[in-house]
Amino acid sequence: MTLKRRRQLAGVVFALPAIALVVGFIGIPIGQAIYYSFTQWNGLTSTWIGTSTWTQAFHNTNLWTALRNNGLLLLSVPFALAIPLCIAVLLHQRVAGWRIFRSIYFLPTAISWVVLGLVAERFFAYQGTLNSIIHALGFSHVSTNMLGYESEALIALGITFVFTMIGTNTMLFLTGLATLDPSLEEAARIDGAGRWRIFRSITLPHLRRFIQLAFVMTVIALFSALFSLIFVMTGGGPGYATTTMEFLIYETGFNQGDFGTAALYGLILFVITGIVGVVQLRLIGSNE
Amino acid sequence: MAEITFDGVTKIFGDDIRAVDELSLHVDDGEFMVLVGPSGCGKTTALRMLAGLEDITSGSLSIGGTVVNNVLPKDRDVAMVFQNYALYPHMTVAQNMGFALKIRGQSKAEVAKKVGEAAAILRLTEYLDRRPKALSGGQRQRVAMGRAIVRSPQAFLMDEPLSNLDAQLRVEMRLEIARIQRLLGVATVYVTHDQIEAMTMGDRVAVMRGGRLQQCDTPQDLYDHPRNEFVAGFMGSPPMNLLRVGLEANADGIALVLGSQRLDVPTSYCSSHDLPTVDGPGVVFGIRPEDVEVLDASSSDSIMTRVERREALGAEILVHLSLVDAEGDNAVIVNDSGAFVARPTRLVAKMGPRSGVAVGDQIQVRLNREHFHFFDADSGLSLRRNQ
Amino acid sequence: MTTLMPPKRQRKIGRWILFGSMMVVAVIMLYPFWIMIITSLKSESQFLSGGGFSWLSWSTLTSVIPIGQEVLSSTIVCSSSILIILCVGLPAGFAFSKLRFRMSTVVFLVIVSAMMVPLQAILMPEFVNVTKLGLTGGYFGAILVYAALGTPFSVFLFSTYFRGVPDELIEAGIVDGLGYFGVTWRLIVPIAVPAIATVTVLQFIQIWDDLLVGLLFIQNTSERPITVGLAVLSAGRTTSIPALMAGSIVSAVPAMVVYLGFQRYLVKGLTMGIDR
Repeated sequence: MTLKRRRQLAGVVFALPAIALVVGFIGIPIGQAIYYSFTQWNGLTSTWIGTSTWTQAFHNTNLWTALRNNGLLLLSVPFALAIPLCIAVLLHQRVAGWRIFRSIYFLPTAISWVVLGLVAERFFAYQGTLNSIIHALGFSHVSTNMLGYESEALIALGITFVFTMIGTNTMLFLTGLATLDPSLEEAARIDGAGRWRIFRSITLPHLRRFIQLAFVMTVIALFSALFSLIFVMTGGGPGYATTTMEFLIYETGFNQGDFGTAALYGLILFVITGIVGVVQLRLIGSNE
Repeated sequence: MAEITFDGVTKIFGDDIRAVDELSLHVDDGEFMVLVGPSGCGKTTALRMLAGLEDITSGSLSIGGTVVNNVLPKDRDVAMVFQNYALYPHMTVAQNMGFALKIRGQSKAEVAKKVGEAAAILRLTEYLDRRPKALSGGQRQRVAMGRAIVRSPQAFLMDEPLSNLDAQLRVEMRLEIARIQRLLGVATVYVTHDQIEAMTMGDRVAVMRGGRLQQCDTPQDLYDHPRNEFVAGFMGSPPMNLLRVGLEANADGIALVLGSQRLDVPTSYCSSHDLPTVDGPGVVFGIRPEDVEVLDASSSDSIMTRVERREALGAEILVHLSLVDAEGDNAVIVNDSGAFVARPTRLVAKMGPRSGVAVGDQIQVRLNREHFHFFDADSGLSLRRNQ
Repeated sequence: MTTLMPPKRQRKIGRWILFGSMMVVAVIMLYPFWIMIITSLKSESQFLSGGGFSWLSWSTLTSVIPIGQEVLSSTIVCSSSILIILCVGLPAGFAFSKLRFRMSTVVFLVIVSAMMVPLQAILMPEFVNVTKLGLTGGYFGAILVYAALGTPFSVFLFSTYFRGVPDELIEAGIVDGLGYFGVTWRLIVPIAVPAIATVTVLQFIQIWDDLLVGLLFIQNTSERPITVGLAVLSAGRTTSIPALMAGSIVSAVPAMVVYLGFQRYLVKGLTMGIDR
C-alpha cells in the first residue's frame, strides 16, 4: 500500500467515529423530522397525512404566538451587545483590581441558566428584590409582579436573557480589545483625536467581527438556549405569553403528545437557525 | 551504512506536475551528497521520496542494494533532519534524541548510553533535560542532528537544516555538520538552495533544476567545468558572466566579437571545445568574475570597459562593467540573423579591496585566458569535449 | 474646552468614576450569588416573613433534595460525555487537518455545520430513537446525546489547533518509526493538551449546566443530574425556596471552580478562529 493510501486510510478511520456520532444523532434525526412532519405521529405509530400537519400548524395560533415572542425577544439583542461592550471598555481601562472585576463579571457565566432562572424568579416575584428596590426608592404604593402578567412576563424574560449573556459577550469584546494594537490609539491621540473619536473611529471598527460573532451567538442562544429559563421562570406562561419556538416544541411534543407537529416546529426552528448560520458564514467569509 | 541509488526516479503531483523527472543519481557509502537548486527544483521532493514520505511515481530507488519504493519509512533505516527541526515540544532533549530507539524497543540503558554519546559529540550534554522551547536556534539544530545520529542509520537525510539560523551560526554549523558526517562516515543526502553550503560541504554536488538533474560532480569540477549555462550561473557568487557573442576568423585563429572590440580565443580552445563555425550562430561566452583583471595599459588581450557600479564588500570589490565601443557607447551584439540581442553586455569583476576604480572610469580589463567557458547558444550545454 | 480643574485632578476624578461604575456592575453581577446565599440561610417561615437567620435549609438539604445522588449523576454524565467527545473529536480533528482523504473537506464542513443545529430542532425524532434503543433507562442515552452535540465543536477546535502544528513534526515521528496510531497517541495527544483542556472546560460547563437533555433522556428520577433536579423541584412550586437556593449553590460550585481555574482556556475556546 502506498504511503498516501495509508495516510488516507488512517484519516478515514480516525474520522469515522465522529462522523457516525454526528450522522446518527444529528443527521438522521433531521431526515426523520422531515418525514414525520408529514405524518400523524405519537412516538409509536405514524400515519402519513401529507401536508395537513403543515396546514394545521400554520393555522395554529400557538405557532404564531411563539414566533412573535421570539421576534419580540430579538429586541433585547441590542442590549445584550451594548451593555457588554460598555463593560468590556470599562475593564479595558485597566484600573486597579480590574482582574478581580473581570472574574466577578464572568462568574455568572459558569452557573446554569436553571439556577439563574430561579434567581430571576426571586428577583421579579411579588416579594422579590425588584419590589424592594421600588419601595426603597419611595414608591411604596407601586408593586409589580411581572412574571404573573402576560404583558410583562416576556419583558422579564428578556431582561434575564440580557443578564445571562453579559458574561460571554463581555469576554468576547474584551478579547477583541486585547487584540487592538495600542500604537493605533496612540497615533490617533497624537493626531488630536479625543476619547469618543478614538472609540468610534478606531475601537469600534476593530471590534466589528467580534460584534458580529457576538450578535450571531446571541441570536442563536435566543432561539435555542432559553428553555431552561422559561422552564423554571414561567413554564411558558402565563398562557402562551413566554412560549418561544423551542419551548413550544417541548410543550407540543411532551405535554400534548403531538409528536408530528412538534417535529414540524423543530424543522421551522432548524430553518431559522440555519439562516442565522448562513449569515454567520457569510460574515466570516467576508472578513477573510 | 549503505549506498543510495536513484534510477530514473520520477514524481508526478496531481496529473501533470513533474516535481522530479527521471532522476538518476548514485550516492556512495559514506559520501556527502548535496542536492542544490533554486526553490521548486525538486530537490526536497527527491529527499522526501528517499525518506519514504512521498510515493515514487516511477523508477526505482534503492538503499544498500534493496529497492525501497514500497518500504515504509520506519523500515528504511534512514534518519532525517528537518528544516524547522521538528523537535517534539513535549519531550526533553534526551527524550527527543532517544525517541526512535525507544520505539524500536531498545533498553533504557542502551538508549541512555547512545544519547549520551551523541550528546557528547554535539556538545549537548548539559542541555539533555531541557525542553526544545528553552534552547537557542543553534542548540535546537544540534538536537535535530542528535536525533539522527543516535540511530546510526544507513543514511542521513537533511532538508535545509541550516536555513533557519543566522548567518554566523550557519557558517559554524556548516563545519560542524561536515565534521560529524566525516566522523561517522554515514552516507548523507543534504538538500539546500545555498550554493556556498553546497560547495563547502559536499563530497559531490548534484545541481537540479525543474525536476531534472543538471550535473553531479565534485564542487571544484562543478565550478571549473559547469556542464551547462544554468550550472555556470547558479554556482559561484557573484555568478559567472555570460555573454552571447559572435565568432570571427582572424590571423591566428578565431576571435570573439564584443561589439566593435575583438578578443582572441587561444587556439587550445579549438581543440578542447566543439566551437561552432565562424559566422555561425555564435556562442555563449562565460568568464568568472575573479578571472576579470584590471590592466593599467591596453594590451592585445584586453577589452575596454566602463565602470557602471561599484560594490565594496570589504575583502573585495565587485565592479560592474559595461563593454565600450570605440566611440564609447555601450556595446551592442548582433546575432546571426542580424537582429539586435537584448542581452546585457555587462561584466562583473572581482577586484582587490585597494583597487582604485571609480564609477565612470573607462578601464582596460583582461579576461583570464585559462578559464574561458563556452556554451551552445541554443541548448546552453557546455561545448567542452569530454576528456 | 476650558476647565477650572487642573488636568491631574480631573484624571483622578475620572478614575474614581470609572472605579465606581465598575463596582456597580460588580454588585449586579454578584446579585445572584448574594440572593442564593442570603435565601439559603433562612428557614421557610423566615423567608416568607423576610427576617432571620437559620441553618435549617442546609441541615435538611439532603432530605429535601437527593443532592448527593444528583451530583454523582451529573458527574457521571459529564465525565463520560466529555471522554467520548475527546476520544472522538481529537482523532477526527487530526484527520481533517493532517490526514486529508477524499471528500474530507466536505465531510468536515458538514460536521462543523452541525454545530448550528439546536437540539430542539431534532428533539422529537432524537427522543423517539433513543427511547426505542432502550437508552433512556440509564445514563447512556443522555451521555450519547451530549457526546453527539459536543462533537462538532470539538472537531472544529481540534482541527483548528492541529492546523498550527507543522507537518514535519508528524513526518519526524513517521521517520522515527511510528505509525499513524503511534503518531496520534505519542505525539499529537501530548501536544494537544491545551486544546483538550479547552474542550473539557467548555463542555463541562455546557453539560453540567444543561437541563433539556437530562430532563428528557434520563427517565429514572433516581438518576437525575442536579440541574434537572433543581428545575423539576422549582416547577413543582411546593418546594422550600431556601432549600432550592442551597441546592443551587451546591450545583453552581463545581462549575464556578472549573471556570475560575481554567478561565484562560475558556476564553481561548470561545474566540477560537476569530483572534488569529
